[in-house]
Amino acid sequence: MKFLNIEEEISFSEKMFVLRKEIEDLLFNKGYIFVEPSIFEKYDEFTSINTRINNKSTVKVLDNSGEILILSPDITTGIVNKFVPRWQNDTNLKLFYYGKTYKHNGVGIRENREIGVELIGYRGRKTDEDTIKNAVEILSKYTNDYLIEINNNKYLKEILLLCNLSKKENNEILNFLYYKNKEGLREYLNNIKSFKCNVNYINTLENILELEGDLEYILNKIELLSVYKSEVMDKVLNELKVIDKEIKKITKNVTYDLSMVSELNYYDGIFFKGFVMGYNTPIMSGGRYDSFTTQYGKEIPAIGFTIELDELIKIYNKEK
Amino acid sequence: MSLSIAIPKGRLGEQTISMLQNAGIGKTIDEKSRKLVFEDKNKDIKFLLLKNSDVITYVENGIADIGISGKDMIMEQGADIYELYKMNIGKCKMSIAGIKGKKIFNENEVLKVATKFTETAKKYFLNKNQKIKIIKLNGSIELAPILGLSDVIVDIVETGNTLKANGLEVLEDMYNINAVVISNMISYKFKREKIKEIINIIRQEDLKFA
Repeated sequence: MKFLNIEEEISFSEKMFVLRKEIEDLLFNKGYIFVEPSIFEKYDEFTSINTRINNKSTVKVLDNSGEILILSPDITTGIVNKFVPRWQNDTNLKLFYYGKTYKHNGVGIRENREIGVELIGYRGRKTDEDTIKNAVEILSKYTNDYLIEINNNKYLKEILLLCNLSKKENNEILNFLYYKNKEGLREYLNNIKSFKCNVNYINTLENILELEGDLEYILNKIELLSVYKSEVMDKVLNELKVIDKEIKKITKNVTYDLSMVSELNYYDGIFFKGFVMGYNTPIMSGGRYDSFTTQYGKEIPAIGFTIELDELIKIYNKEK
Repeated sequence: MSLSIAIPKGRLGEQTISMLQNAGIGKTIDEKSRKLVFEDKNKDIKFLLLKNSDVITYVENGIADIGISGKDMIMEQGADIYELYKMNIGKCKMSIAGIKGKKIFNENEVLKVATKFTETAKKYFLNKNQKIKIIKLNGSIELAPILGLSDVIVDIVETGNTLKANGLEVLEDMYNINAVVISNMISYKFKREKIKEIINIIRQEDLKFA
């Protein structure tokens, strides 16, 4: 970040300190324990456990033995990598961190301040609920013009599984969904000559872009379109219903989108994002990543979220 | 909740404006004036008249909530935006053209391709395993093969008349192009109802062109 004069820089620095302290105090008082994320990660190890990281965008450094290290592009991966390999069965970790992530953004190296929460070893809907509530509590301290989008990608994953498409077809479809390209999706599905599944599943997939907005609207739409519902899909909807009821107790600014493709390939189940009106990047994102831990040999339930401090401070500046 | 719509100048924009005005929206827009921003106070909508290649930039950065852009520009810029409705106007093709009879694919040759659409062309030929050298041009692309600057061109073809007049022909069609209603990803979440309403209005008018 560049400043015109010292006064501006010092004032920014002070505000960042206060903002950070407010959030850290809030989390500390809720019983979260602070961990300091490491700045360096091993390049090979990191990129093999987290395929979503664009290798080109990582910032590489060499140590004196010639091994390639990177400056951490994602704190969650680092924390999982730190604790999960030594996991003992009855451990529960309720952690929070403050750290920086580094990425090449085409122009230079972009440094991002992040505060986040990781709950490792905690399973169940109640944990999901509390995590989202904590996230909402933090965001709503700084603005009223926010929107939380909650999703569960098990719904979409189940439809895609039922549709039994090739990997290439799957990726094409995820692409259409990512860009909400309804006509493109319809044309693409129409052009696939033979399906290895019930046509009902394909119709359900074709209609999934309609399933966005209020949860009530989505549930009505599902009845109206009489799309296929498997046991898993039914379970997802019932879970969302309970979570919606709980979250509505503290805020009305909630929306859902069952077609949402999470760009983080480790999310598995509930995931959510926080937006603020007039700001063009998500301020917050998080979700459940149980299956991410399976690459260490055992599945450990885990959920977390991250707040983009460099974005939040812009709002903080405005509101003060 | 107010909405801002980015409209490209030129024929695509004119068609869009007349669609909106047919539906009683944006009566204040006057393309002949030099103004670039118009407001429809009744509907609480702001219209921005922009250069067609800038529409995506304004929408991606959230200055405009939605916009009208060609699919060619969307593919080329690879922007993070929603493609909410594929329109029946602005129809044309993106094609490979060259001197009559020119063979495109040859694994022993590095094909010289002149185009405005460098990213789209790179991806297309990479998928087809054809080695190429891109020559970026901004206009009169048809001249490149004639004067020997390139082997082929990748360009938008509507009628093919310009190609014919310059002794070129379409060697292969790459993509169907059309106008698309695009939206900023975050605006869409906050203003979903209003954006859907506008798209329904556009759709009804647009279907007349189907």
